[in-house]
Amino acid sequence: MPEWYGSFGGAYVPETLVPALKALEEAWRTARRDPGFKAELARLSREWGGRPTPLYFAENLTREIGGAQIYLKREDLVHGGAHKFNNALGQGLLAKRLGKTRLIAETGAGQHGVATAMVGAKLALRTEVYMGSVDMERQKPNVLRMRLLGATVRPVDHGAKTLKEAINEAFRDWITNVQTTYYLIGSAVGPHPFPSIVSDFQSVIGKEILRQSKQAWGGHPDLVVACVGGGSNAIGTFQPMLRTPVKLLGVEAGGSGSGLAVGSASLTKGRPGVLQGMRTYLLQDAEGQVLETESIAAGLDYAGVGPEHAFLKESGRVEYTSVTDREALDAFHRLCRTEGIIPALEPSHALAEAMRRARDLPKTARIVVTLSGRGDKDLEVVAQHAPPG
Amino acid sequence: MPHLGETLAARRRSKQPSLLVYMMAGSVPEERFLSTVDALKTAGVTGLELGFPFSDPMAEGPVIQQAATDALRQGFHWPDLLRLLRASSQRLPCAVMTYLNPVLQRGEARALEELHEAGGSALILPDLPVEAARPFRALRRKEKVDTVLLASPATTPDRLALLVRRTEGFLYLVSRYGTTGAGEGTTPSTQGKEGELGPLVARAHELRPDLPVLVGFGVRSREDVERHRSSGADGVIVGSAVQTRLSTGRSPEEIGSFVASLLG
Repeated sequence: MPEWYGSFGGAYVPETLVPALKALEEAWRTARRDPGFKAELARLSREWGGRPTPLYFAENLTREIGGAQIYLKREDLVHGGAHKFNNALGQGLLAKRLGKTRLIAETGAGQHGVATAMVGAKLALRTEVYMGSVDMERQKPNVLRMRLLGATVRPVDHGAKTLKEAINEAFRDWITNVQTTYYLIGSAVGPHPFPSIVSDFQSVIGKEILRQSKQAWGGHPDLVVACVGGGSNAIGTFQPMLRTPVKLLGVEAGGSGSGLAVGSASLTKGRPGVLQGMRTYLLQDAEGQVLETESIAAGLDYAGVGPEHAFLKESGRVEYTSVTDREALDAFHRLCRTEGIIPALEPSHALAEAMRRARDLPKTARIVVTLSGRGDKDLEVVAQHAPPG
Repeated sequence: MPHLGETLAARRRSKQPSLLVYMMAGSVPEERFLSTVDALKTAGVTGLELGFPFSDPMAEGPVIQQAATDALRQGFHWPDLLRLLRASSQRLPCAVMTYLNPVLQRGEARALEELHEAGGSALILPDLPVEAARPFRALRRKEKVDTVLLASPATTPDRLALLVRRTEGFLYLVSRYGTTGAGEGTTPSTQGKEGELGPLVARAHELRPDLPVLVGFGVRSREDVERHRSSGADGVIVGSAVQTRLSTGRSPEEIGSFVASLLG
């Protein structure tokens, strides 16, 4: 389990958390070799979570674009409506193993909060979720879902009142209650060992894509595209493909795309620094103050990124780019109309870039887009923007 | 002004208790900040920790968070810190406390050189683990700026030995499971539970008899100060309790007499 990805990663945390991180690493080291743990995870993923998810050929969309064939990895069909389930379930079982009685989590779009609330209910662990008050406003349905599932949602009111502040507050809670509490972090971010644990639990996405593409056409995809905020669905998609010839593409949120705005594109517009326990690419000013970000997709609205992505960018193995709010919205509407699927705004970014690339590729090429979640949560945001003419 | 680490060590040798006060630089106008430093000196404070604001202060409770936000909103920058440090360090021995990223972006060598030139004698970074402290320790000989490490009630005996060996100037012992100012809040992230410090202090002194051990986080009353002293600590650090008074406009005299009341 790597602590460092090149010069990225590490565990830059207050001393109070050091023993808890070491205990977590040890618990994961034994759990991943324990057939009982693996069987329980597999059974709940299948029977409760609905895995494996389909690899779906978006025939109408492909015809409309008129280039490469576009396939969708349907993580929107996992229980709860997003890939967040994969990680929340795995870490929830780890929390049980560590004897913790309380789960805390941060959430941006609310999908990770919902997944954690589901797991808390199922595993009988008291659950509290930190969420920026701006995000609570724009992702209301998920706030209601968390409450229905028995979780307490705690609004976070400082700074930009979005994901980064929610993570800070979750860390403060953890420092205070580390003896009883498990911090179920929602993306492949934070101090070691969180990025590698999250990457491991999410790698089910990429493994299934490889298996399913082999079944469907007897080979690999040519290009695989995923959106990157913290980067958990993307790292889960890419991880099993790093040693294959598949071309990998991560798509960040470019925000409004106006003038000097950086959106939330830490890999394409940031530089290395230390935030929330990890060394990674950050959107920051000259003195190292972390900038406020903006994106139509709450789940991508984050100034940092998982350290493994920082490494994969520097090594050149994965290409990273960004698309704007407007481009993501156009892709959102197009998928609704052509395929009868309402995607979340986060993977709509990946979809927008995949459509652009498809036009320049031959009809024999195959692109897989990880459709990381469904869009029910985004209806209000989408309604506030005019649909394309 | 004498070096903070040397001052604390001398006071430990002569069995005089020490008291450091933390205030967020830039949270109030410079003139008021310095008048407060004067009042603290008169009250008998041993040294000062100047906080430099960071946008994402993971280990801070609401009072210090707000002070950091205020300072950043005022447009407080690194050169402003150096100016304030230069003036403060003529009154009391000074440390600077911030987070790792602002120092990394400045460059470790350049930051320590500037702190040294401005009269600073220690740097405290709560998110710098001992494993990553090597570059700072390597600069110690040249710049004479101590890199102070923190321990907490959660620290295991093996790890405490490592921290005691590697820390410079003093050991900052966090009193509680919790953030700064812990113990008064009503939400799960601001409450905090006191740890048992006596055995940690004793072990630190046993391993390094000359090393001052100072207790901080949640220290706000005479009882707190006495309790920590009776655990064997060489002194305490008061942060949020002073900052809250500073931020709400209490006069330097009021703050001075509050701190004097802690000293008894």
